[in-house]
Amino acid sequence: MKVLMLSWEYPPHIVGGLGKHVYYLSKTLAFKNIDITVITYTDGTSKSEEFINNVRVIRVNPYSLRYPDFISWIYGMNLLMVEKALKLRNFDIIHAHDWLTALAGINIKYIMRKPLIATIHSTELGRRRGYLSNDYERHIHEIEWILTYEAWRIICCSDYMVSEVNKFFQCPLNKIVRIYNGVDPNSLVPSSNVNRKNYAEDYEKIVLFVGRLVYEKGPHLLVEAANILKRNDIKFLFIGEGTMKPYLLELGKKLGISEKLYFLGHVPDDVLYAIYKMASVAVFPSLYEPFGIVALEAMALGTPVIVSAVGGLNEIVINEYNGIKVTPGSAYELAKAIEKIIDNPSLSKRLIENAKNFVKNFTWEKAAEETIKLYEEVMIEYNAGNWKTRV
Amino acid sequence: MKPIIHITWEYPPFSVGELSNWLYSIIPRLANYYPLVIITRGNEDNIFKLNNLTIYRVGSLHKTHPHILTYAHLLNLDFVRAASNIIHDNGGALLIHSHDWISSIAAYYISLYLKCPLIISVYTTEIKRAGKIDSLLKMGIFDIEKKCFENADIIIVRDEEIKNHLIADYNIDRNKIFFGRNHDEIISLYRRIIK
Repeated sequence: MKVLMLSWEYPPHIVGGLGKHVYYLSKTLAFKNIDITVITYTDGTSKSEEFINNVRVIRVNPYSLRYPDFISWIYGMNLLMVEKALKLRNFDIIHAHDWLTALAGINIKYIMRKPLIATIHSTELGRRRGYLSNDYERHIHEIEWILTYEAWRIICCSDYMVSEVNKFFQCPLNKIVRIYNGVDPNSLVPSSNVNRKNYAEDYEKIVLFVGRLVYEKGPHLLVEAANILKRNDIKFLFIGEGTMKPYLLELGKKLGISEKLYFLGHVPDDVLYAIYKMASVAVFPSLYEPFGIVALEAMALGTPVIVSAVGGLNEIVINEYNGIKVTPGSAYELAKAIEKIIDNPSLSKRLIENAKNFVKNFTWEKAAEETIKLYEEVMIEYNAGNWKTRV
Repeated sequence: MKPIIHITWEYPPFSVGELSNWLYSIIPRLANYYPLVIITRGNEDNIFKLNNLTIYRVGSLHKTHPHILTYAHLLNLDFVRAASNIIHDNGGALLIHSHDWISSIAAYYISLYLKCPLIISVYTTEIKRAGKIDSLLKMGIFDIEKKCFENADIIIVRDEEIKNHLIADYNIDRNKIFFGRNHDEIISLYRRIIK
């Protein structure tokens, strides 16, 4: 079976969880003898075509077309993706990820008359907390709706996202399949050159936040929790970048806790894994989280986790079994949960052990098997119908 | 016989400028020579057939657009939807003929897939409309115009001024620019390119 995977993110260009998802899924599908071609983005610093892990990767450079805004940039990239795909031609299934490749996926679907599968990783309405405030946001919401309408089947990474896609786009439930993301513990290899002293004093425990510094990820809640705790023996590390960073720095200053907050920006994956190992607890206080692949990585690396009871995080954490859940938006509960884990080594140990066993349920192997099953079902339906290429 | 597919964002009753009336005066005559399909926009999807001419109107699924460039991309998606039915029902197309840049993305895709000739009639350009390219939006339109013009096998113009402008400002090969001032000239170009 030949699958055309369309994604705006793919290593080495990673923005969030979507890129990791497409990378691991494609690699595992290719290992299971699915012929995978990924068409993705390059800024000119990566190869325009290469073959890695049995996956053919083709990159288009949208900077060859000028653009007034992000949506136009994305559509320019989609235009170049369609151009590449039509030259390659030979595919059985098109698999698009999010609205960012919707236009390419739908165009190729109609031109080649091949079934389109879409994975919806998150929605504009969800990211904007239920309110679309301008034409850009409304436009993205509409293209997401069109993608769910045009796709043969929709994949969502959590039950929460299944319900969101069903509710926001009136998409029939029997068209949506839930396939959880995976984590590959063998790929989480920490760097051996990371010195703890660069991040915290010996007497300081590390509380770690990993994610984009944007409102929906709740980094401000961790700053507020740090202020509630006001403990000299804790250092709060923030890994990631985002538009809230200046605000968070200002908030830390205003609350007089700046010296306890350390914003590292982006770090290489192996350094991140090493910092996970050093941390006493990893915190994911999201207000919106379709899945939360970072929480699985923390669990696999043996770091106890605290998550807000929202979205996919609510499904992958069982309270006080493999992590602690707090009410979304509550800095107070977050502070108390941090204190509970840090001051209770036996609880921490229990959470780590249970989490390590629990993450074995979330493998890319399993995700790939379920995806192949879906591909096969779609091909059976496609072959039984009349909607076929005649050119 | 496979049809010739025309793609245009203007055709009566939709009229933005003079393009709509020009096409109305010329396309039915071209249909005397070849089976011809016009894909154009409408309030909803519908098909109208008269002898050798089929008018395929597409309604848009998408209503909100921050600007003309996003509108053009989605409009072309609707054109592709219609073109898909035509090419797969007829086993292909003899050639694809688009009118101005705004319908040329779909035309380019379809000709690329079918490996059939692409003709673009250029009546005006972003530089002519805007006076000069002095914003990112205009640059975005200019780059798409240029990409589509470059990928056309034949560019049809109606006057010397546009021809010289395409050569000077879009760097288009002068040997692929032809005059199409009436249906006779257009038919002779069709005969030349259809194998």
